[in-house]
Amino acid sequence: MKEIITSPLLLIMIIIGLLYIVAFSLLYLKKAYARCLEMGISKEALSKVIKSSLVFSIVPSLSIVVGLFALIPVLGTVWSWWRLSVIGSLSYETLISSSVASAIGFETSSQMLEQATGSQFGVVMILMTIGMLSGFFVLIPLGKKLCMSVSKSENASTWKYVLSGCFMLCLFSVYVPVLLIGDTIQALVMVTGLIIAVVLGVLAAKPGLKWLNDFIMAFSMIGGMASSVLWTSIFK
Amino acid sequence: MSKEKNSVVMDPFQKWSHSVGRLGTVIALIYMTAIPFVVLTVYDAMPSFGDVINVSTISILLIYIPVGISEAISYTPILGSSSYLTFITGNIMNLKLPVAINAIKLTETEQNTPEGDAVASVAVAVSSIMTIVILALAALLSSQIGFIFEIPQIKTASGYIIPALFGSLTLGLFSSSSSGSKIVKGGTKGVIPVLVIVTLLSLFVRITSGGSLFGAIGFLIIAMLPIAIITSRILWKKGVITVEDNPAVAKKEK
Repeated sequence: MKEIITSPLLLIMIIIGLLYIVAFSLLYLKKAYARCLEMGISKEALSKVIKSSLVFSIVPSLSIVVGLFALIPVLGTVWSWWRLSVIGSLSYETLISSSVASAIGFETSSQMLEQATGSQFGVVMILMTIGMLSGFFVLIPLGKKLCMSVSKSENASTWKYVLSGCFMLCLFSVYVPVLLIGDTIQALVMVTGLIIAVVLGVLAAKPGLKWLNDFIMAFSMIGGMASSVLWTSIFK
Repeated sequence: MSKEKNSVVMDPFQKWSHSVGRLGTVIALIYMTAIPFVVLTVYDAMPSFGDVINVSTISILLIYIPVGISEAISYTPILGSSSYLTFITGNIMNLKLPVAINAIKLTETEQNTPEGDAVASVAVAVSSIMTIVILALAALLSSQIGFIFEIPQIKTASGYIIPALFGSLTLGLFSSSSSGSKIVKGGTKGVIPVLVIVTLLSLFVRITSGGSLFGAIGFLIIAMLPIAIITSRILWKKGVITVEDNPAVAKKEK
């Protein structure tokens, strides 16, 4: 198994894959940026979006890095790096690797890294790859239809406006009670994030602090996450 | 209230995304799927079909398949044209979706409009590149910087990204809804049944087992979405949920 997870072939294929995704992202960026300008969105507004998106992405990316270091002892550096860079998400990849370990007969994931044969690791690789593909069987054939069903054209029925908001509201209506009721620390972290966002919102209304507006979400998220250390020390 | 079907004219960027973007996604998918098969064939370690698909592995796939389907159905209408890129790079709920919402809010555009779609795509593309770069650096320097990410406090804080995000997103959700040309009034009434059901279920699980429904959230969203849509549709027909011109935007246009 070690031979496979440290193999140059795997590394090269993954680097090519990542370069493709970076090129794909750059192409999207170029197309979307040009279209934004055509539609009258100013360069200043777009540079604000880019700056804010970069800042906002740092903290979640660092959380993914924490996941990377949790996965490396289980799956090796290259495969963990790849899995966390594409599809899926931090939580799924971590869960699927540990459940696969037990499914193929190992007590712990680290035991799997020590003892698994190449083909057992192959099972892990294939399951992790195909496990998260299901979304694409919806997105590829139905993506356009799903987007158009809520697209607000000028003469659109008012129902589209209601439907368009429905998805986000439903997401919140599921997440919020689950987070608030299911776990005390999760609830406190969420409330802390909300309070910080409100306080920053008030501060950003002051003339000298207008720039804060672009970073309210990023800062309140970082604050909420940091507060978890305090809440865990009190309640656990 | 006009209820007849409208022929939607697609914006050039949206059109591009649903053709070239979709094709790029298919290529990426084929490549991603091929990686394990190519490597395992070269190293003569290809497992048998029965090793990959059996009773114990199917039970794992049965957990992940509905999650993927649920994500595609519930996030695509929110993300619009940026969906393809978002799904390829993943980490939707903890990264791409908030980044897209943040961008729409910053530019005072509106979700599901050509402007909102293009702005969200800029944000998602930037964020995707950023994550890939950070992960690449981390993987390269793993032996040097690994210890930082082993610090217990950092590990604890990382586990709470989703609740922290929802805390920070809640404010953004409500302020962004008023930036478009139309306002949906009473939209939240459509999700009251969802709120009640999920609250009761969460209470039941917490009281009986002390646990949380957090792990089942993908299933919950896909189960609750039809309830939210049907309730909203009924309330919209009855005139309880209404759509009005946004006075702030109308004033600006004058």
